[in-house]
Amino acid sequence: MTKQHPAWSPYDNNGGTCVAIAGADYCVIAADTRMSTGYSILTRDYSKICKLADKCVMASSGFQADVKALQKLLAARHLIYQHQHNKQMSCPGMAQLLSNTLYYKRFFPYYSFNVLGGLDNEGKGCVYTYDAVGSYERVGYSSQGSGSTLIMPFLDNQLKSPSPLLLPAQDAVTPLSEAEAVDLVKTCFASATERDIYTGDKLEIVVLNKGGIHREYMELRKD
Amino acid sequence: MVGKNCFAIASDRRLGVQLQTIATDFQRISKIHDRLFIGLSGLATDSQTLYQRLVFRHKLYQLREERDMKPETFASLVSALLYEKRFGPYFCQPVIAGLSDEDKPFICTMDSIGAKELAKDFVVAGTAGESLYGACEAMFKPDMEPDELFETVSQALLSSVDRDCLSGWGGHVYIV
Repeated sequence: MTKQHPAWSPYDNNGGTCVAIAGADYCVIAADTRMSTGYSILTRDYSKICKLADKCVMASSGFQADVKALQKLLAARHLIYQHQHNKQMSCPGMAQLLSNTLYYKRFFPYYSFNVLGGLDNEGKGCVYTYDAVGSYERVGYSSQGSGSTLIMPFLDNQLKSPSPLLLPAQDAVTPLSEAEAVDLVKTCFASATERDIYTGDKLEIVVLNKGGIHREYMELRKD
Repeated sequence: MVGKNCFAIASDRRLGVQLQTIATDFQRISKIHDRLFIGLSGLATDSQTLYQRLVFRHKLYQLREERDMKPETFASLVSALLYEKRFGPYFCQPVIAGLSDEDKPFICTMDSIGAKELAKDFVVAGTAGESLYGACEAMFKPDMEPDELFETVSQALLSSVDRDCLSGWGGHVYIV
């Protein structure tokens, strides 16, 4: 008896790639703006980046309907937190909240591959990387999405994180300057756009530092 | 990967069966003649058999033509051999690199049924293929000298196989 394949799936993959890099006192979060389905492009101008708190920004690729629902939920929870505690949620706090929210739907997951970036309580850059069901880890840099297999090895090469098994524990954040990190991100996306059909159109870069949030855009190949 | 009047061909050294590592010094790249190399990724028994058949065909060619085969010709030979088995293929992805007329480097790859992909910069194959595309695309520069080409190829290979659990244990790099 051959396995019956379902005629309808509740999920779709809208493609896209996200990257985040943590620095000594800044965090760079970037994502392309292409939204696709199958071999078609739905729009060239869709933002995958969402500001969850003053010092916490999330970029998500995967199924954008689930991403939208997730962003909505997290924004609501953050509002409640602000009402109850009279302050913004910290990035490590939001990281834990995101993990728990994702695992809550362990048996009908959010098809969203997230990367959380921001500044921790000491003002240092932090990046958290997630799988679809909430397994997360604080890292110095990460990428998720269709271009992540292309970008990750290059980031490893340029930013080699010290092993978390080393004692004494070494900082994962990169010694690169903010401008160098932004340049690196632009290089990564230019390369990924060449070889990944779901990545391209435009790149949105968000930089978080003690001066606040700064956004910039870069054109990518549209084919 | 192509450089200035030279080429590099590299592979990792792991031979495994799913999660078990069988060898950590496996030779995946073989010489056809001094200016032509072929790397075969995939099922080891198929790559060994394919290599033996190719050496056989090349030796006959050498006897008849009294010269070595050009890389372009060899690529067509590999493609034809693979397509012969269209409905029961060799589970191999070859990467061919050679020096053509006037020392012009030639590289190409194929899928397991012989669809050639010629490229001017680099070609990749294997389980870490996607990672290799990303790393090579970011690190490649045209017209690299042999020393720089070696560094680039090694770094791209090592970074990419480090992200793939089925590849690793170092690399072999040939610069010609």
